[in-house]
Amino acid sequence: MPSSSVALTPGLASFLKSLKTNPIDTSIDDLISLLKRRQIRHSRSCATATAYLLRSVISACRTSDANKLIERVQYVGRRVMAAQPREMVVGNIVRRVLGLIRDEAEDDREADFTLSDAGSESQPQTPRILDDISESLSARHDGSDRSSRQPFTSLSAPPISMFSLLSHPEPESSLPGTPASASPSGRLPSQIHNKDIRAEVLDGINEIIDELGQVDDQIAAYALDHIHSNEIILTHTSSTTVQKFLLKAAAKRKFTVIHAESYPNNHEATHATVSGQTPDDDELLSTEAFQKPLIALGITVILIPDSAVFALMSRVNKVILGTHSVLANGGLVAAAGTRVIARAAKVHQTPVVVVSGVYKLSPVYPFDFDSLIEYGDASKVIGYEDGDLVDQIDVQNPLYDYVPAESIDLYITNLGGHAPSYLYRIVSDHYRKEDINV
Amino acid sequence: MGPKQKGGASKRANATEEVEETLQAVVLADTFETRFEPFTLEKPRCLLPLANTPLIEYTLEFLANAGVQDVFLYGGAHSDQLEKYINASKWRAPSSPFKQLTFLKSTSTSVGDVMRDLDGKHLITGDFIVVSGDVISNLPIEGALTKHRARRESDKNAIMTMVLREAGRNHRTKSSSVSPVFVIDPTKDRCIHYEEIDHYSPESSRLNIDTELITTHQEIDLRQDLIDCNIDICTPDVLSLWSDSFDYQAPRKQFLFGVLKDYELNGKTIHTHIIKDHYAARVRNLKAYDAVSKDIISRWTYPLCPDTNLLPGHNYELRKGSLYQEQGVTLARSCVIGRRTVIGQGTSIGDKTTVKNTVLGRNCKIGKNVTLDGAYIWDGAVIGDGTTVNQAIVADRAVVGKNCIIEPGSLISYGVEIADGVNVTEGRRITKAPREDDDGEPTNEPEVVGEGGKGYEYVPYEDEDDDETASNASSGLIYNMANLSLSTESISTLSSEITDFGGSRSGSFSTTMSEDDEDHFVHDAAASVYDSLRDSVTSDVVQLELVSLRMTANASDHQVRRAVVSAFMKRIQQLMEGGKGAGEVIREIFGKYREIVERALFDRDSKTKSDQVDLLVLIQQDLVHRSRGDTVLLFTAKELYELEILEEEAYEQWWADERSSNSEEMRQVRSQTQQFVDWLANAEEEESSEEESDDEEDSDEDDE
Repeated sequence: MPSSSVALTPGLASFLKSLKTNPIDTSIDDLISLLKRRQIRHSRSCATATAYLLRSVISACRTSDANKLIERVQYVGRRVMAAQPREMVVGNIVRRVLGLIRDEAEDDREADFTLSDAGSESQPQTPRILDDISESLSARHDGSDRSSRQPFTSLSAPPISMFSLLSHPEPESSLPGTPASASPSGRLPSQIHNKDIRAEVLDGINEIIDELGQVDDQIAAYALDHIHSNEIILTHTSSTTVQKFLLKAAAKRKFTVIHAESYPNNHEATHATVSGQTPDDDELLSTEAFQKPLIALGITVILIPDSAVFALMSRVNKVILGTHSVLANGGLVAAAGTRVIARAAKVHQTPVVVVSGVYKLSPVYPFDFDSLIEYGDASKVIGYEDGDLVDQIDVQNPLYDYVPAESIDLYITNLGGHAPSYLYRIVSDHYRKEDINV
Repeated sequence: MGPKQKGGASKRANATEEVEETLQAVVLADTFETRFEPFTLEKPRCLLPLANTPLIEYTLEFLANAGVQDVFLYGGAHSDQLEKYINASKWRAPSSPFKQLTFLKSTSTSVGDVMRDLDGKHLITGDFIVVSGDVISNLPIEGALTKHRARRESDKNAIMTMVLREAGRNHRTKSSSVSPVFVIDPTKDRCIHYEEIDHYSPESSRLNIDTELITTHQEIDLRQDLIDCNIDICTPDVLSLWSDSFDYQAPRKQFLFGVLKDYELNGKTIHTHIIKDHYAARVRNLKAYDAVSKDIISRWTYPLCPDTNLLPGHNYELRKGSLYQEQGVTLARSCVIGRRTVIGQGTSIGDKTTVKNTVLGRNCKIGKNVTLDGAYIWDGAVIGDGTTVNQAIVADRAVVGKNCIIEPGSLISYGVEIADGVNVTEGRRITKAPREDDDGEPTNEPEVVGEGGKGYEYVPYEDEDDDETASNASSGLIYNMANLSLSTESISTLSSEITDFGGSRSGSFSTTMSEDDEDHFVHDAAASVYDSLRDSVTSDVVQLELVSLRMTANASDHQVRRAVVSAFMKRIQQLMEGGKGAGEVIREIFGKYREIVERALFDRDSKTKSDQVDLLVLIQQDLVHRSRGDTVLLFTAKELYELEILEEEAYEQWWADERSSNSEEMRQVRSQTQQFVDWLANAEEEESSEEESDDEEDSDEDDE
């Protein structure tokens, strides 16, 4: 019975299934309406759907001209982003795919050039002196991108880009840093490059999709560095990333978790997470839904109402938060209530750690915080049946909070830990300047 | 049903495979009501904009959310417009979530006809959802569907599940005039009885529950707090039930009531699924239109809000204070935009204008110093400088001049032009649509729209003024509490008896669903007699028909008389409007159909002529609402006397009967008949005592 009802409701699963059979334009419209109807709503689901969609778009694109590919992806990207502008991950994925295409195109041109120029590696910069900065960025981007694809070397990746920052005037030095893998792969297909740029991009997208699948485990790998024995950790709302992070630590260490329930928008999921019942949320299609709860590992979990956060904060050693998206200035858009927790932590000088996949990191700079916040269903705050009240008052139910960068002490992404002020570096590693405004 | 069910079960068993049971839905785009007149004279109701998005979009969105794959859309009036719209919409695009969207045209005049038509077409293969084309809901239906299927699995007589939304006692989205009462057995979620309470008619504000229901059920819930949004999950059996009972018209009032009543006979059960969260409502009348608009703007319907931009091309953004604004809006620097406002693209608002609680369509032009509060201004309307619009609807391309005052509850229809300085008083409906009866260009009424304006006041076809009090509160845009309390006993009882006859577009379908069961008979019979009169069928045939109707409904003589009176009077009125004299018409009608009236009277031999008096009172009541009622009453009385249908005693008793003089209107209507009754009395005197008695006559007059 439940299986049939799951199959009924459109969502990520049905979208991915239909993607294989439907023509591409149908799939685009399909995703747009799913986003509009909020049938796909978690950051990761949105990101996954977008990545799969763009993969289909590119494989359906019968051209190997990079510019045409970029145009096409931009067109699709704009439409999908407009469908739900507040799901910033959609834009992030679009930008990363655009970056991929540009990189491949440039690799190609480099390869062309090197071919004609008897294969000297140091030369390729000269013809494109104009966009020299973005050039070096892209080169570095390539490096870090590779590193994110190979998670266990990722620790070494950021230093490379730091290094290349210093060595900025000599782009050549950055090239040899990364290219061990990049340039051969870039050159090999160069003979037949016209055909292969698409294949390269598709590979790239597949890697993004893989990254989306692994990101929580990668983040969880840092858990033992941050959670120590007998600590008291406060967290908020239900987030698979946070949950995996804590689980990883719980395997080795004993600590206490205080879990704020994030009423009214997510308390049910939070309760389910804490008690270990599988949430009904079919969007988390993977087996993650069946993970053990913390209590099964002998961790004490205390579920508290949001209002008790301040009172308990004095005893908390660390606040670990999940997020909806991270902005270029280091601020974040996260479930409503997060800002209160962050402020309470500030008052008590408790460190605030945010765990988030790099895919949530958006190059958008928040000039207008209000426009980032989505307002949800008012009936979660006040029952709609209370007719007299409904008639006389305005009810607002913000789904998200904007938390300024100053309230955050540390970000842990799949690339490692970063200070909020460092995020702009990761942004410039992952997104190309040309793509910030898609 | 058996094999089908098995098929469903086995499919469900291997749901991992690609096979899925397709979910079908029937959308009744037209609900065969006249609540939205005059707008519905020119546009189908489900294309009316609700927060700048056509109503039907919300319904289809709801179905898409529910995972429905086949949709059958039944158009009613203006179905060509609807079809055109649907064909151009995203629902026809290859990306549409519906695998199949079938537009069905039918000549149906009621929900019952549609259902029977559907049954005849054999389109429905499994469980299906029936919704009307004005449902707004963000409810995921799967919970109800799962329960429905489980129930059907165990008991194939469970044919229908109604989705009902719990709401408190008072709620803006609930209908204020009629409240449905569901009697539910909570242990099985089974609805065992259904009735509607009409708040305007004191006689029906009670429930008739069979004692057997109370004795046979352990637990009973009587619920009046439910919003019935007409979302039904049905099995194909429902269709055949509709077909079996060919006289059912309304889905609740008749079908639900009937099926529940015939439980002993059919054994079919109907269940309820009561939801406590999520939003579900129907835009059933203008008041609901207002309420649902507010709900949408306050995001109770999330995610179906303006900033979701359901229609491609919309780009609403949410600003602080529930202000939704599209790109390309021109706002003067000194204008004040208050809370809960929606402003569409291309609209411009002039200096010092105040706008709040208002929905503005696209390309509207709002002048300077305008005040808009609670107004619904549809696309392309123009509001002149200094005008005030309060809780009113100004439809597409309507033009309101300068310094006008549009009072609450006014409806200004498509393309109407109101001249400068006109005061449109409360509750006026102004339209420019061609009148129903004559084909020519409608004449403008300068007293309504001002010199140079275009449009005339639309009076609902029910020439009984649609009983101002009751319907204004129920279908008016405003919650007119004053009117609510104003509905005094006499007016409302009278009107509830007559309101529905022949009024709605369908001609045979009750618009307000306000009467109780016995009124159905009156209504049906009156319609049938009226049709016969119009087509000049011989009186034998009419009589036969009437008798058969009476037998089926087990109606009382009083009801028969009521039906006859209402049909006769309507016909007389109509002929009189055609230019004939009252006397002539009445002689013609009563002469020809004398027998029908006679057969409704059974007291010729008794001393108290209660039946005849009743007839006269009914005629009098009916005529209260008709123009020149007093004249008609005089001529009718005379004619009935001359045809020897009624006797002198009857007139005497009628005149003395307090029913005939218990209100101002009644007295007024019979004033002209005074002379006739006096003459009768005199004649009688002459006959009996052969002498004049002025004293008697005087005392008669004093009696009044």
